[in-house]
Amino acid sequence: MLRTTLAGLRAHRLRLMLTSLAIALGVGFIAGTFVLTDTIEAGFTQKFAAAADRIDVAVLPGPDKGDEPSAISDATLEKIRATEGVADAQGLVRGTSALIGKDGKAAGDYPTVGISLPEGALNRTSIVSGRAPRTPTEAVLDEGTARTRGFKVGDTVAVLDSENARHEFTLVGLFDIGLDQEIGFTGAVGYTTDTARKMTGQRGFREVDVAAAEGVSQETLRASVAAVVGAGHQVKTGERYAADLAKANGASSEFLTLGLLLFGVVAMFVAALVIYNTFNILVAQRTREMALLRCIGATRGQVFGSIVLESAVVGLLSSVLGLLLGYGMGAGALAVLTAVGAPLPSVAASLTPRTIVLGLVIGLTVTVGAALLPARSATRVAPIAALRSQAEEQTFKAGLVRMIFAALFLVSGAGITAAGMAMKPGETALVVVMAGCSLVFLAVLTLGPVIVKPLSAFAGWVPARLFGVPGRLAVDNSRRNPKRSATTTVALTVGVTLMTVISVLTGTIRVTYAHQLDEQFPVDYLVRSQDRSSELPRAIAEDLRTRPELTAVVAFRGSTARLGTGDEKYEVGTFTPAPGFTPKLNEGSIDRLVPGAALVADHVAERLKVGVGDRITVRTAKAGAVELSIVGVSNQESGLSGVTVPEREFDRYFGEVGDSQVIVNYSDGVDPDRALMVIEAATRPYPTAKVTSSTEVRGEFDEALDMMLMIITGLLGLAVLISLLGIANTLSLSVHERTRESALLRALGLTRPQLRRMLSVEALVLGLIGALVGVVLGIGFGWAAARTMTENVIFQLPVPQILSFVALSGLAGVLAAVLPARRAARASVVGSLASG
Amino acid sequence: MTITGEVGAWGARGKGAEPAVTARGLTKVYGRGDTAVHALRGVDVSFSSGAFTAIMGPSGSGKSTLMHCLAGLDTVSGGQVRIGDVELTGLNDRQLTLLRRERIGFVFQAFNLLPTLTAEQNIRLPLEIAGRLADPELFDLVVGTVGLRDRLGHKPSELSGGQQQRVAVARALISGPQVIFADEPTGNLDSRSGAEVLSFLRTSVRELDQTIVMVTHDPVAASYADRVVFLRDGLLVSELVGPTPQSVLDTLMKLEA
Repeated sequence: MLRTTLAGLRAHRLRLMLTSLAIALGVGFIAGTFVLTDTIEAGFTQKFAAAADRIDVAVLPGPDKGDEPSAISDATLEKIRATEGVADAQGLVRGTSALIGKDGKAAGDYPTVGISLPEGALNRTSIVSGRAPRTPTEAVLDEGTARTRGFKVGDTVAVLDSENARHEFTLVGLFDIGLDQEIGFTGAVGYTTDTARKMTGQRGFREVDVAAAEGVSQETLRASVAAVVGAGHQVKTGERYAADLAKANGASSEFLTLGLLLFGVVAMFVAALVIYNTFNILVAQRTREMALLRCIGATRGQVFGSIVLESAVVGLLSSVLGLLLGYGMGAGALAVLTAVGAPLPSVAASLTPRTIVLGLVIGLTVTVGAALLPARSATRVAPIAALRSQAEEQTFKAGLVRMIFAALFLVSGAGITAAGMAMKPGETALVVVMAGCSLVFLAVLTLGPVIVKPLSAFAGWVPARLFGVPGRLAVDNSRRNPKRSATTTVALTVGVTLMTVISVLTGTIRVTYAHQLDEQFPVDYLVRSQDRSSELPRAIAEDLRTRPELTAVVAFRGSTARLGTGDEKYEVGTFTPAPGFTPKLNEGSIDRLVPGAALVADHVAERLKVGVGDRITVRTAKAGAVELSIVGVSNQESGLSGVTVPEREFDRYFGEVGDSQVIVNYSDGVDPDRALMVIEAATRPYPTAKVTSSTEVRGEFDEALDMMLMIITGLLGLAVLISLLGIANTLSLSVHERTRESALLRALGLTRPQLRRMLSVEALVLGLIGALVGVVLGIGFGWAAARTMTENVIFQLPVPQILSFVALSGLAGVLAAVLPARRAARASVVGSLASG
Repeated sequence: MTITGEVGAWGARGKGAEPAVTARGLTKVYGRGDTAVHALRGVDVSFSSGAFTAIMGPSGSGKSTLMHCLAGLDTVSGGQVRIGDVELTGLNDRQLTLLRRERIGFVFQAFNLLPTLTAEQNIRLPLEIAGRLADPELFDLVVGTVGLRDRLGHKPSELSGGQQQRVAVARALISGPQVIFADEPTGNLDSRSGAEVLSFLRTSVRELDQTIVMVTHDPVAASYADRVVFLRDGLLVSELVGPTPQSVLDTLMKLEA
């Protein structure tokens, strides 16, 4: 029996190749995910270990207390230095110090970080050109920032200190950011330790690194340092420190792994459908072979075993192929990430034993699992079937069990989805809706063979009329075996459904967000500080108000205060009134905002259980506790703080706080470029004041959405690719089955191109069916999911995108048919008529 | 009964018109070198139009190969084939396909019909492939002749073997081809259904003036023809006009000897 199976496998090598490719792609993606994340993790661990080699003990401050980030004081550093066994101890400083670009404005969207470069062996920052700073007038820049901002060693650079005062330094070197993700994002300026403290305004150290004197072990040193610094500090050996860093980093890469694996699971599910279908067809085609085996004495168990064995061999071989593919994909992704400048350690891609075992197990389990049902149906072949000359046409009747299950899935799925949509928007609602949608999808999967017939008539309506006889024959062929067509198309449906959901969601978010922006107040320009949290001088807004080109200059200010008797701090703010600016309120009126009155935001009202007419105590910085009456409730869209008080009152409560942001509209008839120039002129004296236009904000948001859409669609593309292999597989098996039929058509005068066209149209119809079902489901699911995200969703159907999914699916189907169609058309008429 | 070594003359019952199909020095070789098989070694034969001719011969005599070459289904290694006034040798695949579509009808031993189409759709298929409309009168006549009027809406799986072959005959007739090639059309049928199908073939020759070339190994089937030509080892070796089952059998016995 084993020999028969292996001989069969050898004979059907080509036929099983497409199946193998489907599994290999799925396994490859999963393995590739692990290769990528394992390699990154291993690289980080290695680098952390290398960096930590220099230090014997690291002292870290305890958890942050209140608003103040905790730090290690000078006194503690001195104590550590005086501890026995300590050869050297260096404090590391880290804070904000904004580099000024060549245009005189603070460089980048976020201020650069200021760090200290300690002297001696404890320095972990590697200088790649020039040298480390030695005097208070020297500084170094990270390579990336130097490159993008056009600075080179020897230049003079200007940097703002924490008080926004400008200082100039000589650039003496460039350094490598290593694995620091924050610096990778913002860029950094490095100074001597003392200068770094002055520039960043940090009073303490973020970390103190300690080197042991000769002969002192890390553990001994750790114990003696810990005894000196006392409780409230974490003291770790260098080894432990490196391990902890690697672990924290691993936690963040776990998120990436999980996200990617989700797509891997989708791909494997599609691959399972393809395998199931392939084995089903193979079993159907080999009915006579099975029957012959049964005739000459094979038991049902042996027939079953032979199919399962066949699937196991295929599964194993393709999993191995998948692992190789995964290794290639992982290495490729690493190369791409490195090429685009992600701060990643450069290590060779690693295929860990865990990845190998996982890949093999997953590939094998999915393949054998998907082949079980076909194998069972193979055991039902009666020995007498060997004597029948011609395989009978498969007929399909929708069984009662199928209908009952489908109805069950559909009703429960729709019910759960509706329940989820009725819930308050949030994560729970989304999860409920997703569960409901999955059930609905199962219903469609179960109903597949029933709906494929009418759908093929629908999808084939145009092709049947456009392509004449080949077209009509193709549409007939696409539904002659509904079960097979359904499984083939459902594989494609999975990918198209998910793509449509994502495209509907992003489209809806885009429109809803834009609508919310418009609702609030049509803002043309926004002025705010580079780091978003520090204040702007009031002079900017005052200056802008004097410009005739501009109208409606509204400045927002804010501070924090405790409300009532609670310990929690809330934002308390104000805005300068301007014509045309009326923030949206859920309740109450802005006109009643007089001294002694306040507006509260909806989330604050809910939290404190207060409403219009209630009184609220604000414990202010200058005026002590003041009691205010609530005259309105603002919602999030208004852009107001938790508690809003009138402008004058705010000053009385909190003093002369600067503006947090200024919104500006230009007057009608003014050229937007001219208005922008005016605003830029007004902000020029303030390097950290950044001007953004609302179109820019929307552009950024759109870009981020587009990016997300592109990445997710790309990842889902794998599932679609696998389903196309499925279409190609089904077609080539069908072509094989219909060899004589094709020969007959050729004898009757169908030309080769017509025969090819017939198969292409069949694939086109299959692709369209899969896409149509996917698009309908995707729109429904997307709509349901969008409802769970926020209130007042404006549903948006990205029609061109969805149409392109349908068109691409059809086109891809046609592509999938190229090889099978070529083979069918090439076959000699006489040979095919004689064969089997 | 005449047995001639050189068969190139028209059959005695030929209607004297131009021959529908002619082969001159037809050779067909499969493979090459040591493994080469000479299926046809130089066959000269003509089939008069309006006549029913049977091709007979022992297994491996080349009778199916001859039919495939005559019908433009297979390429020839040497010699010439003409259908009416068209020279087949030298035509490319597309031209051959169009020729089959326009001038030739086929009836095969089995698997004659497309399982997805009804009997009527199967009958009309050649015309539709050619983009032509069926002559309603001819359609009516053909369907009436083969006796399928009440079976037109059925799928092949709902028809008996004999009915399926009758549909195939009707399909071959409908386009009014210059010649119909039938390859063992009764090979899969019981004797009664077989007799029916052969009668229809015969009737179509008589009443529709159709030319039919049939390959068979059954002397009874061959006896329905006007003329029988015999093949052995790729050569035309004998010919019989006005055959009876007995005379065909006798000739075959002699060839086998």
